[in-house]
Amino acid sequence: MRERNVMLVHYVSGIGILVFGAVHLFTVFFTKPLGETIWETTMLFEGHQFAVLEVYRNALLATSLWFLLLFTTIHALNGLRVIITELFPVPVVRTASKYVLFALGVFLMVYGTRTIIIAHMIG
Amino acid sequence: MRTVRSQARSYPLVLKTMLVPVGYTVERWSYTLQRVTGVVVTLYFVLHVVETGNFIGGPNVWYVPPKDFAAAYYQHVKELLHNPVFDAGLVVIGWMVAFHTINGIRLTLAHFGITLGKPARVDPESPPRSFSNLQRAIFWASIALATFAAVYSVDALFGVLSG
Repeated sequence: MRERNVMLVHYVSGIGILVFGAVHLFTVFFTKPLGETIWETTMLFEGHQFAVLEVYRNALLATSLWFLLLFTTIHALNGLRVIITELFPVPVVRTASKYVLFALGVFLMVYGTRTIIIAHMIG
Repeated sequence: MRTVRSQARSYPLVLKTMLVPVGYTVERWSYTLQRVTGVVVTLYFVLHVVETGNFIGGPNVWYVPPKDFAAAYYQHVKELLHNPVFDAGLVVIGWMVAFHTINGIRLTLAHFGITLGKPARVDPESPPRSFSNLQRAIFWASIALATFAAVYSVDALFGVLSG
C-alpha cells in the first residue's frame, strides 16, 4: 500500500478511536455518581448499569469495544512504524519492524476478540 | 555500508533532537509530545488488552468459564491493580490520551489542508514557525483539555474533588 494511503488509514482509524473511545470513556468514567470512584461503580464485576460484565453482555457495547480494539491496534502500530522509520531510516529495520508490529497486531486482535466474545457469553 | 555507519553515529543526535525540545519552538514541542504520548499510550494499550483478559479468568481461558470463577479471578486482579501507584499512572495516561487526541485532530485537519492559513514571508530574524494562529490555538487547547482530563481522572480514581 502506498504511504499516502497508509497515512489516510491512520487518520481514519484515529477518527474511529475518537468515536468508539468516547463510548468507552462514557461507560467507564462518566456514568459514576458524584462522590464515588470508578472502583466502587463501573469497575465492579456486576451490580452497576455499566459494570464490567454488564458492558460485555450488551451486544452493542461489546461490538463498539471490538471496533475500538480494531481501530486502536491499526492506529497504534502504524504510529510506532512511523516513529521507528523516522528514527532508523534503514531498510532492514523498516522491514523487521513491519513484521514484528504485524505479529503484535495479530496477537492483540486475537486475544482481545477472545476476551470480548467469551465475556459476552458468560451467563 | 558507510552510510549506515554514519547514520548509526548520528542516532544519539537524532534521539536528542526528537526527544528533548527544550529551547525549540512550540511546533517542536508538539512534534515530540505527539510521539512520546503515542508510544506511552500504545504501551498502555497493549497492557490494557492483556489485563482485560482477566475479566474472564486470565490468558489460559479459551472457553466460557463459570461466572463465579471469572468473578473471583477478576476480584483478585482488581485488588492487585487498585493502588495509588497504578491510579497515578492512569492519571498520567488520561493526560496523554487527551493531549494526543486533540493534537491529533489538529494534525488530521492540517493533513487535509484545513487550518494551514496563508503562506507568509519568512522572517530570517525570527525562529522558524509552521503553525497558523488556529493551529497554535488548538495546540494550547490540547494542553488545557489534557490538564482537565487529568483533574477529572484524579476525581474518578481517588474521589478527592467530590468527596
